[in-house]
Amino acid sequence: MWQSFLGELTRVMNEIVTGFARFVPRFLEMLVLVLVGWVIAFVLRVIVRSVLRIARFDKLSEHTGAAQLLRRAALPTPAEMLARVVFWVAWLGFILVGISVLPVPWLGENISSLFAFLPRLVAAFFILFFGLLAATFFSRAALLSAVNADLPSPRLISQTLRTMMILFVLSMTFEVVGIGSRTVLIAFGLAFGALVFGLALAFGLGGKDLARKYLEKRFARDHYPEEPSREREDELSPL
Amino acid sequence: MATQDSLWYKDAIIYQVHVRAFYDSSGDGNGDFRGLAQKLDYLQELGVTVIWLMPFFPSPLRDDGYDISDYRSVNPTYGTLDDFKAFLEAAHQRGIRVIIEMVMNHTSDQHPWFQESRSSRNNPKRDWYVWSDSDTRYKGTRIIFLDTELSNWAWDPVSKQYYWHRFFSHQPDLNYDNPQVFEEMWQIMKFWAEMGVDAFRLDAVPYLVEREGTNCENLPETHHIIKELRARLDKEFPGRMLLAEANQWPTDLRAYFGNGDEFHMAFHFPLMPRMFMALKLEDRKPITEILKQTPEIPEGCQWCLFLRNHDELTLEMVTDMERDYMYDEYAKDKAMRLNLGIRRRLAPLLDNDRRKIELMNGLLMSLPGTPIIYYGDEIGMGDNVNLGDRHGVRTPMQWDGSWNGGFSPADPEALYSPLMLNPVYGFQAINVQSQKRFDHSLLSWMKRLIRVRKATPTLGRGSIQFLYPANHRVLAYMRKLGNETILAVNNLSSKAQPVELDLKQYKGNILVEMFGRNIFPRIGDLPYLLTLGPYEFYWFRLRRI
Amino acid sequence: MPEESILSDGFVRELMNVGEVDIVVGVPTYNDARSVGQVVQAVRAGLLKYFPRERSVIINADGGSRDGTQDLVCAAAISDLSATSDVHALRTLHSISTQYENGPANGIAMHTILAASDLLQARACAMVSPESTTLEPEWIERLLRPVFRDGKDLVLPVYRRHKFDGLLIRNLVFPMAKVLYGFSVREPYPTDFAFSGELGSQFLAQDIWNQEQGRRGTELWMTLWAAIGKFRLAQSFLGPKTRREDAPSDLVGAMRETAGTLFTSLDAYSSIWHSQPELVPAPCSGCEAAISLEPSRLNRKRLYDMFTFGVKELDPVFLSILTTSTHDELRTLAESPEERFAYSAELWARTVYEFAIAYHKAVIGRDHIVQAMVPLFRGRAYTFLSDNREASAEEMERNIEGLCQAFEREKPRLLEMWDGRR
Repeated sequence: MWQSFLGELTRVMNEIVTGFARFVPRFLEMLVLVLVGWVIAFVLRVIVRSVLRIARFDKLSEHTGAAQLLRRAALPTPAEMLARVVFWVAWLGFILVGISVLPVPWLGENISSLFAFLPRLVAAFFILFFGLLAATFFSRAALLSAVNADLPSPRLISQTLRTMMILFVLSMTFEVVGIGSRTVLIAFGLAFGALVFGLALAFGLGGKDLARKYLEKRFARDHYPEEPSREREDELSPL
Repeated sequence: MATQDSLWYKDAIIYQVHVRAFYDSSGDGNGDFRGLAQKLDYLQELGVTVIWLMPFFPSPLRDDGYDISDYRSVNPTYGTLDDFKAFLEAAHQRGIRVIIEMVMNHTSDQHPWFQESRSSRNNPKRDWYVWSDSDTRYKGTRIIFLDTELSNWAWDPVSKQYYWHRFFSHQPDLNYDNPQVFEEMWQIMKFWAEMGVDAFRLDAVPYLVEREGTNCENLPETHHIIKELRARLDKEFPGRMLLAEANQWPTDLRAYFGNGDEFHMAFHFPLMPRMFMALKLEDRKPITEILKQTPEIPEGCQWCLFLRNHDELTLEMVTDMERDYMYDEYAKDKAMRLNLGIRRRLAPLLDNDRRKIELMNGLLMSLPGTPIIYYGDEIGMGDNVNLGDRHGVRTPMQWDGSWNGGFSPADPEALYSPLMLNPVYGFQAINVQSQKRFDHSLLSWMKRLIRVRKATPTLGRGSIQFLYPANHRVLAYMRKLGNETILAVNNLSSKAQPVELDLKQYKGNILVEMFGRNIFPRIGDLPYLLTLGPYEFYWFRLRRI
Repeated sequence: MPEESILSDGFVRELMNVGEVDIVVGVPTYNDARSVGQVVQAVRAGLLKYFPRERSVIINADGGSRDGTQDLVCAAAISDLSATSDVHALRTLHSISTQYENGPANGIAMHTILAASDLLQARACAMVSPESTTLEPEWIERLLRPVFRDGKDLVLPVYRRHKFDGLLIRNLVFPMAKVLYGFSVREPYPTDFAFSGELGSQFLAQDIWNQEQGRRGTELWMTLWAAIGKFRLAQSFLGPKTRREDAPSDLVGAMRETAGTLFTSLDAYSSIWHSQPELVPAPCSGCEAAISLEPSRLNRKRLYDMFTFGVKELDPVFLSILTTSTHDELRTLAESPEERFAYSAELWARTVYEFAIAYHKAVIGRDHIVQAMVPLFRGRAYTFLSDNREASAEEMERNIEGLCQAFEREKPRLLEMWDGRR
């Protein structure tokens, strides 16, 4: 009995040692990959940072509003952000490759599916980022246009536009990532439809006088001559 | 001279010459008929087919022979009547016809007719001229010699009346309301026609008749006279030609052809200054516009084209703006201006630029009409504005670099006019002898030009159709006669020019350049692209093979 | 890959047929059939009357008209092709037209005309507006004669205008041009002007045609560039400026063309305005009283309302652009009642300069910065109209001079902020 116990123990110990012996080199391989990956990622970060500095990327980003967006979020400058993103993406890639080297099958499968998911994650990130940028840009453009055209409630128009765009961007992001895409899509559709319906009611009821005046002015000029005493602002050319 | 072809004048190359200026055989300092006869070989070699003689009749020479004192004789300075007959015979032997002047409008005040007419108011010949008690008749009639005459009436102290003169006051106008005048003129014309003269240039035709309330030009009575003259000439001397000197607008000129029963030919006066204008403007517009305004003429009739002649380059038939432009461009020195014209020869007008001279002669030979070459222009002779009146363009012909330019053995002081002496136009630089030696001389080139022209009846008799390429600096036209079509393209600009010609209707034809006879690309569907150097021109014959 | 040419093959062929010229008259158009016929006929009459011997061409650069504008321009040609007319001309006069791409944009039109003039070796070029129905044949002479006779490089117009015409020019362009670049001309942003072939060729060679100033505000850019480049400037009195009664004035567009161009120029010519620029002479010939004083109808209240409204609504935008003190001053101004409203010259100068700095740093989109100026300009216009309502021409000139002095006083601040010292 003792013999069989010892034999079993020895067999188990041997298995553990064998397993260990099989694992350790792979583990060391993984460490090497991670280390090499870090070095490469670091070099890439330096290169990207320098290239972006030469190309004055930060200045361009100021122009598009990306820099303000990041500043508001207490994040570093766009060039630095991009450099860091490149660093992390590169290093993560090497880490994942390193992990895939380990003789753990379920880990390998999960890492494969993680790799498969990564592009969508990146895409979602870009959609979100640029979508927020666009929302800021267009909402400001709408605000300025509405103010200069003397439209009522320019801030409302601007915020509405911003909200609509953010909702749209979010739903696209979720769809790309694949989280409850159908639900999100329907929710977005409902929200969007409700918003548009609400606006139509508001403008339709509230703006009917304005619409009437516009139509009269446009098509019935002969029948409704302008009162001579009424001043017009833009009679004289600014140039 | 027996004539095979009654339309010989359409193919003619006319050479205008002053007997006095051409060649002096007698040594008295004046050219003469014997001298002229000696130079017929030169003219034959040049390619000339007709000689137009300026007036050689006896005359006080106050208007270079246009003031005639005897219509039936020859000025003794130029020889005798027999000399003239000998010259005529020699010319005909060489196939050269002769045009003489018939100054019908006026005579010299030294003519026996006028001497008789003025002698008394009852003289039978009193009515041969136009007399008046006052100088107020025919108001509104323009004065032609503006620089010298203040009125068209002159006071005769002998008969104490005014007499009418459209030109110089020593050239009283004949009165064609008197039939005797016409009959006498006809007899004179008969006299010369019987001798063998081939054609008559009727000087100052528009002014023959005066009527109150008109401008005394181009009146219907004038045309009756011409018709009568023509009818008699055709009947008695078929094949002879009448050439009109009428400085009028094209529509007024048209009347002088009648229905083919008046003049055979007329000078196209309005075209000539416009050719010079187009060259300076570098724009074909003046030429195309005047030719557009030129009416069709009867089948047997022909325009006479010329670049220069014995008179000033007349600017009567242009607008004030055009005249100012011409003066500013061609006669900056006011001494060059005379009587609403410019008294300069061809070469000086064109800055002695060989290319321009060739281009203008090319136009002369290819536009519709019979070309006239003024003596000396074929070698590029210069002018002398200091000689007064128009004598500056009537200097002696320059034959060689020897004594008196080979014109006369007389002493230089005895010459009728000083020779050109300056280094550019002087007889040692410009003369026939030196230019005969070189193939590339102007004289040699003119001979080639005339040869090509004579070989192409289309240029003399054909119709004209202008192409209007978008490049206004290029004047292009088609000349057609029967099956033959010629394309002439002329660059009026001092710079190289590209031009695209719409020749679609001639598709399939090959262009053959007429001087070198090289072929150019066949005409296709696309616009035909040509490039021309400064002042360059091409003549192409279209061939379909 | 070869760069695309601004001149189409067909147009180059037309230029080939025109050949070398002495004068080009350029007409940029876009759906101007209502007025362009009258304008080119007047141009033609001017050329025939005053330059009958010169070789001339009218060149139309069109931005895609569909109302027959181009045909009207081409009808002005005089050639032996047309049937006999009552117009007698010594020479052929070409009148050609081309449509450029990516139009309508006056800068591209100008680029086309400059390129054509350069190819044709024009000695002088005049640009006329297709809306200038008050254009008379004499204008051609007055614009081109200084180029031909006096050797001037750029001839700017002087019009008889209502005293309140051109408010944006008076309050923004004129003071900035004078203070920063040293030149004062009545119409720094001309629509009818002339220049020498030499200037045109040099301007054509500038590297602006792929940028915004090559599309809009090009005329103003040319004026600035010529003044800075020490070209010989002149002004010539023409006559009354055409006023289109029915055309709405696009203030935003006008602001883009003026403020946008000026602010961009600050980057390009930084070294010039950092120093004290020399005064650029621009003698005026035939300058009569250029201001007419007939009463105008202007809705000043609306200007005030739009200013206050704009300041309120665009508050977050102004926060990004202006300094705190200027921003606070504007807010205070927006809250003041109309009878006490006064947008002072100093505050306006400061506003303009801070906008220029924001534009230089691109704190937000540059076009948005320019648009944000519009309601503030309305406020300034209100004060200008109030101050000069009863003023004579001379008094108004003095007030404008006072405005320029305010810009001069604020200039050190601009310099500090620009160089990052503040």
